[in-house]
Amino acid sequence: MQSESARMSSAAEARFRVQAPNSKPRVIKVIALDALSEDVVDRLAKASWNQATFFTAAAFAGAPRLEQRVSKEGWLRDLSGRTRDLIDEVDTADLVVMVATPGENVAVAAMIGEACSHKRVMTTALIVGATSASDETLSKTLAQVRPWSLMVVIANADDYIEDMLSALRA
Amino acid sequence: MIYNGPTIVEGEFCDMLRKAQNDLLTQTGPGTPMGQMFRSYWMPALLAGELPENECPPVRVKLLSERLLAFRDTEGRYGLIDEFCAHRGVSLWFGRNEECGLRCPYHGWKYDVTGQCIEVPSEPEASGFAQTIKLKSYPLIERGGVLWTYMGAPDKQPPPPEWEFATVPRKQTFTTKRLQESNWLQAMEGGIDSSHVSFLHRGDLDSDPLFKGAKANQYNLSDSRPVFEVVESPGGLYIGARRNAENGNYYWRITQWVMPSFTMIAPRGNHAVHGHFWIPIDDENCWTWSFDYHPIRELTRAEVSAMREGKGIHAKYVPGTYRPLANKDNDYLMDREAQKAGRTFSGVQGIAMQDASLQESMGPIVDRTKENLVSTDNGIIMARHRLLRAVKALVEKGVLPPGVDPAHQKVRSAAIILPPDQPFKDGAREALIARPDVAPASV
Ligand code: FES
Ligand SMILES: [Fe+2]
Repeated sequence: MQSESARMSSAAEARFRVQAPNSKPRVIKVIALDALSEDVVDRLAKASWNQATFFTAAAFAGAPRLEQRVSKEGWLRDLSGRTRDLIDEVDTADLVVMVATPGENVAVAAMIGEACSHKRVMTTALIVGATSASDETLSKTLAQVRPWSLMVVIANADDYIEDMLSALRA
Repeated sequence: MIYNGPTIVEGEFCDMLRKAQNDLLTQTGPGTPMGQMFRSYWMPALLAGELPENECPPVRVKLLSERLLAFRDTEGRYGLIDEFCAHRGVSLWFGRNEECGLRCPYHGWKYDVTGQCIEVPSEPEASGFAQTIKLKSYPLIERGGVLWTYMGAPDKQPPPPEWEFATVPRKQTFTTKRLQESNWLQAMEGGIDSSHVSFLHRGDLDSDPLFKGAKANQYNLSDSRPVFEVVESPGGLYIGARRNAENGNYYWRITQWVMPSFTMIAPRGNHAVHGHFWIPIDDENCWTWSFDYHPIRELTRAEVSAMREGKGIHAKYVPGTYRPLANKDNDYLMDREAQKAGRTFSGVQGIAMQDASLQESMGPIVDRTKENLVSTDNGIIMARHRLLRAVKALVEKGVLPPGVDPAHQKVRSAAIILPPDQPFKDGAREALIARPDVAPASV
């Protein structure tokens, strides 16, 4: 007599998997940290997504240093240029994806990261266009994003982010 | 909130896409795109020990959904040919291995290692009839105790494999294979799924003779939620798992994945380094190859006997086969008491079968439309992304896929402590390349 494991792992039994959905769409917020990444995010935003929204923090990249800042208001804009409240946006997110380009100032990662860690929201940093970057510029970017990212991805092709978002069911 | 249209329809559309991608990546038979990709590489086909001497019995080999037969002739030449006689379709496994050829026992047709028919007893020799019969065959070469084959177009045959485990002196390396009753991709994805180690295998780090005692295990066990970094490499991916080390530094464990299905796990202390190949047998079964080697020293007798006994990443077998002793027919010898007591996390004993049991439980080909990947699965997401890109480039433009170039094969995994801002492609550059007589980077 066949064991239960043998019977149940057959192709025939795979047909009886429950067909009900097993998850709700996750709310994913994608934030460009610098001007070059903004182009990538802009392009991405044109595709249609279930629950992904797109923002930029690029305008603030060069702004006050960590210790000088006073409030977290107005750090974020949506792609039509409207100011968004960072804390509010993070509060309603399941995942925040930060997009950075080596060589750009991405100190704003600390702002976003702090808000995420405060609200216990998972963070992923995606570094695009790293193929041509020197170790030194890459290292500067990593120093800024690593402390605030629970996952860092260094991709050669910009289209990775699209695949990643679909895989995450965004 | 931005409204993006009816989500149900979108979801279904995505699922269809996912189903198409799943089919593309999991099917490797002749004429399939992923099959063409696998046919670009030298792949491990069988252990050299399976054909131990000249004129030894032939061995059935099924690879990429093709039934083949391996044999070693009177002069020591290896052949991998179509399993069935061209006359009336008898399996040549029954053949007589004699005088530089394999003779079909039915009517005596005889073939050499290239599949060329060299004798048809019923026809006059001068008729040249035998010359018109040739079975499909593939080259079979020995390297590092493994017999490798290349199943692609002869004019595209790459140089022989250069994986370090196969090129170090024989006393430094030990390889086994085991049957895995699942599609190759879900098995391979287990090899780059770094976030499962702290759960599924947690009981084994401290007890397995091939792992225990390394300083690294302290970092592992005290910090069970590492942060991951996935970086594209020339041949595939580096997957780094980062934990905090002393003085604000990071302790990295960097896994190598080289396309399509080679993985190498970060070493621990002075233990042997190990890794895998996952090679499709057909779409519902694969060979899990497991190698253990040390770049600069011989393996000790104790190490080799532990490996033979199925410790570390190896497995114990049903005697006389390559099927694991713990298999689906005996519920993997599930031990609920050990599970409850925490001696094993899943109730299954041994790292190899902990992985295989769960991967087989997914069904022969896992339905990826139902999975919910999370951020820590970026290694898996990226591997699929790269495979899909490489398959497309190969099929549409004939671009040679990553991993064929021997330079992509001369890699090592590494365990290394680096300053917090250092990219590991920089800090670990040396450590990630295999160089003869250089010790591996290990903690
Ligand atoms: S927790 Fe990962 S497969 Fe169930
Ligand atoms: Fe595992």
